[in-house]
Amino acid sequence: MFARPDILLAIALLGVVSMLCRFGGFFLMRYVAITPRVDAWLRAMPVALVGAIIGPVAVKGGPPEWLGLAAAVGLMRWTGNEFIACAVAIAGVAGARLVLS
Amino acid sequence: MAARRPGPPFTLHGIWSGAVAGLTLLPGVAMYGVAFGIMADVARLSALEAVLFSAWVYAGGAQMATLQAWADPVPLVAVCLTALAMNARYVLLGAALRPWLAGLPPHQTYTSLFFMGDGNWALSLREHGEGRSDVGFLLGSGVVMWATWVATTAAGHVFGQVLGNPERFGVDFMLPAFFAAMAAAFVRKLHDAWPLLAGIAVAVVVERLVAGPWYIIAGALAGSFVGMVGHVRKA
Repeated sequence: MFARPDILLAIALLGVVSMLCRFGGFFLMRYVAITPRVDAWLRAMPVALVGAIIGPVAVKGGPPEWLGLAAAVGLMRWTGNEFIACAVAIAGVAGARLVLS
Repeated sequence: MAARRPGPPFTLHGIWSGAVAGLTLLPGVAMYGVAFGIMADVARLSALEAVLFSAWVYAGGAQMATLQAWADPVPLVAVCLTALAMNARYVLLGAALRPWLAGLPPHQTYTSLFFMGDGNWALSLREHGEGRSDVGFLLGSGVVMWATWVATTAAGHVFGQVLGNPERFGVDFMLPAFFAAMAAAFVRKLHDAWPLLAGIAVAVVVERLVAGPWYIIAGALAGSFVGMVGHVRKA
């Protein structure tokens, strides 16, 4: 068991960021209302971030990665179950790599 | 100032009933916790670092997203902005609790908010909507989620070490797989794919042009603005 000081610093800061978000909405509502515009902006943020993460993965990856991403999205839409979607996608990537390499 | 409005109740009984109701959320939390533990191991975090990460930051999506931006040395500004973008939705969750929690002493309010996650927030709002106003429910359901999150992170890290070579089992693909599934779920909830598509397009371009994890921030900003503009157009 060990912990690097620079990583602990990163974790400490990330925790503060997380708390600012958790406490911020409650705290600010005392002084300002969240307008529909800000609401729409904040609501769209996570999906945009998730897209930003998977976009380059898809572009840089090969057929196994494309297959995996398609499986994850398709199964999530179809079953609505994250566990099934992710497990099949990951197994699919591992299998495709085995076959294709 | 008007006389202080009496706050909502906050009792041990409420905490207990929240903890019991929160049990239904635990399988989902455990799956994400194990996945994060494995991903943290792949990112070369030690077991202690992974556990402290989960205990202190306690935000599944944000923790996974920062791992995607992780490097040695850690790009502090980029990972903090990534976590900020992923956690921005908590501002809305907290704001929605204002009418219920107003008048509660700050130590009870902020302790409850520390343990707030998407799952127990929805559960608690439903509880409140059904006329039970004990805020202990929010804390109790949050604490069982938090404890499960931390414990399963540790279990996942151990499991990751046992697995060894991550590429062989496609474990390096866990993060993209989780995010792809999340994207499908988010789009369903938002009824709008444009923020997702804008995020993808901008990130792909910026990733080519700028070294480091900045493409994540650029995509998140661009996509969320598209979401805002789309809303204004519709209104």
